Amino acid sequence: MSTSSSSRLYGSVQLRRNRGLGGLYLVVAAFLILYAALFPGILSIGGFSKFTQNWFPLALVTMAQALLMLNGGITLAIGPLVSLGAVIAATTMEGTLGVPGGILAVALVGLAIGAVTGAIVTYLRLPAIIVTLAGSFIIGGVALILLPRPGGFIPDWLSTTLAGHTPVAFLLLVVILVLWKVFLATPLGLGIYAAGDNPVGAFRSGVPVERVKVAAFALSGLLAALTGLFVAAQTGSGDPVIGTPFTLNSIAAAVLGGVGFLGGKGTMRGAICGSLLLSVMINVMFFLGFPPVAQYIAQGLIIVGAVAVPELLGTWRARR
Amino acid sequence: MTEERPLLEARQVFKGFFCNPVLKGVDIALLPGRVHALLGENGAGKSTLINLLSGALQPDSGSILVDGKPVGRFSPAAARAAGIAVVQQELSLTASLSIAENIGLGAFPRRFGLIDYRALHRGVQEVCDLVGLTEPLDMPLADLALGRRQMVEIAKALFRKPRVLILDEPTSSLSAHEAGILARLIETLRKRGTALLYISHRLNEVQALCSHVTVLKDGLVTADQSLSGIDGEGLVRLMVGRETGDLFPPRAAASPGEIRISVEGFSAGMVHDIGFSACAGEIVGIGGLVGQGQEDLLLGLYGAIPASAARAEVSGKLALPADVGEANAAGIVYVPADRKHEGLVLPHSIASNLILPSLGRLTRNGLRDRPAETGLVADLARRLTIKGDTARPVQALSGGNQQKVALAKWLPLDPSVLLLNDPTRGVDIETKREIYLMLRAFAAEGRLVILASSDTPELVHLCDRVVVLREGRVAAALSHDEISEGAIVGAAMGISAAPQGAAA
Repeated sequence: MSTSSSSRLYGSVQLRRNRGLGGLYLVVAAFLILYAALFPGILSIGGFSKFTQNWFPLALVTMAQALLMLNGGITLAIGPLVSLGAVIAATTMEGTLGVPGGILAVALVGLAIGAVTGAIVTYLRLPAIIVTLAGSFIIGGVALILLPRPGGFIPDWLSTTLAGHTPVAFLLLVVILVLWKVFLATPLGLGIYAAGDNPVGAFRSGVPVERVKVAAFALSGLLAALTGLFVAAQTGSGDPVIGTPFTLNSIAAAVLGGVGFLGGKGTMRGAICGSLLLSVMINVMFFLGFPPVAQYIAQGLIIVGAVAVPELLGTWRARR
Repeated sequence: MTEERPLLEARQVFKGFFCNPVLKGVDIALLPGRVHALLGENGAGKSTLINLLSGALQPDSGSILVDGKPVGRFSPAAARAAGIAVVQQELSLTASLSIAENIGLGAFPRRFGLIDYRALHRGVQEVCDLVGLTEPLDMPLADLALGRRQMVEIAKALFRKPRVLILDEPTSSLSAHEAGILARLIETLRKRGTALLYISHRLNEVQALCSHVTVLKDGLVTADQSLSGIDGEGLVRLMVGRETGDLFPPRAAASPGEIRISVEGFSAGMVHDIGFSACAGEIVGIGGLVGQGQEDLLLGLYGAIPASAARAEVSGKLALPADVGEANAAGIVYVPADRKHEGLVLPHSIASNLILPSLGRLTRNGLRDRPAETGLVADLARRLTIKGDTARPVQALSGGNQQKVALAKWLPLDPSVLLLNDPTRGVDIETKREIYLMLRAFAAEGRLVILASSDTPELVHLCDRVVVLREGRVAAALSHDEISEGAIVGAAMGISAAPQGAAA
């Protein structure tokens, strides 16, 4: 076995994962070109930075959601976790903890809440949708207790670094995606797919299915809380309800990206593309002057279409 | 082989589910370099025994021994560590991952905590060469046909370098070519000193591959012997024959009435191009191994799945019912095997389950007629000997009594044809007896009962005629004196046991 052919296995496995995503890539590219044609500003550094800063939080929460959907779960607690992350960032950074302490606090709270949720779902065998629905009320409530009205403090330099005229957010996203790739190259990471698609089989193969599930919830919580940190930096303060729209948008973006509801179906790269598509669509409609209500309706129609078209294409192909 | 110590052994293992004993003191010993066959009818306890040997279940009593040493709490992980690998009937694969990743799953070679794709490639290539998998290793599993997936499952077991390999029906989805590769592979492993346990319903395979056999019947070992000098019919004899006592009501000598169902060239789901007919006043059994098309046959006759027939006569009409409504209108009812999900509304009361199919008819001016409903429920409860308060939820009843409710609810519609799918599965002996009496009574009233069953004695002692399905086709159509356990099991397993006596 030559060395070159062995190391090629990883690469070719990665390439194969693009299968079925060609259409999505084309649609995303078409929207990006349309966007660039309408608003050539995106091609400047400043414009690109602003654009990616708009997209970044949605991309993170979509990852948080897709992580669980791939594992056969779902979470309705994304939005409140984003809010809580924002609130913790805005209330800790001015104290003795400082900025590093604040970031650490947000990360730890996200991880811990995710792990506890995951443990409840896994070991008590309760449906994820119910547990995370209940969790969303609790987490949202805690955020409102910590900071009843928007306020708090985020150092200006942090806001400028993350949400200024430099593409730091985009670079962060690249780093996070690289980390995801590394995670997916561990037995635990691949276990997320296996346990989502065929939990009994994965268990019999020796995948620690329960640990995988808890880990998925913990990572999802971490990503959602960090999103809150970014949103707080973007707005310069903490807002205890700022995350609310993210819950359903994260599901919408993941579904747009081809992630299935039953686990194991879909890819993270698809989900990221889905979030980009959703983000571009919202921007395009906003700049074209769609009234907000029409935006929502169009968004809904596009999502139903995105799910229905591959399904219809499939039956059409099967019939031929 | 000079070494004679068993690698894996079960001693006097007992295992039951919900007070229903499945294994009642079973011994089995797997020796290195020997291919051991495990045979038994549906429900004899084969799967349970495999699950005990592979750590997926714990025995209630008795012990599992690895290398002669008893293991305490056996788990799938401990079994793997001891070198035990199982190829289950239910595949353990993930559709979205590649062949290589599927084979390595749970046993990935690692470097710095990451999957070592280079080592994985080497190991996977080796086992794929062994089983003749030539597909690119990066191919997603979703692109493979079922037979190829089965080969991946076998490769996956080999990747763990097992000392003991348990194969549960490995050839059921393989082509002849693939089965040939597997046979050569088994021979190679045997020579290397692997202990193999081979479960199959194809007796010719068992005879070709195995040298020793353990036969299970009703959770007991009826044979543990060398396979040399024993033929297919001898094996079947070891599997069948059960004390039935007075479980079954005497068969009435009533002559069958007019033809109720007659089909030729009938296909539905798995069932392909079969023909049979059944008359009023008969109990016709549908036998065969699990999943040979029995359910599809019933559902096709019921109009619940698409079906076609070259010629069909059902309840006097010259066509198959197009849908369930039409079948009900023609007096055909279906009682599903999965009574908990398909047959009953578990949290609702016995009474409301009983009146469910009659709700539409028991109305007065479009409203429910409570007195009529109460009368109906009381009548049914009496006829079916359902004891106690009918306001209790159905889920409080035992499995057998639940089944009686699932059957009884159709009686007010006065059905002329009852399609029953394994009505006595998981039912205790006493209730079985009551259900048999009910079915006999139905037939005596001139109804036609078609009974798919995985319980061979039931087919022998209750049915007037038996149709045995094998891979969706009729393997045998037996009537009256021809019906015996040997004939049914033999036909189900593809052995043409010559029936005694002339064909009726």
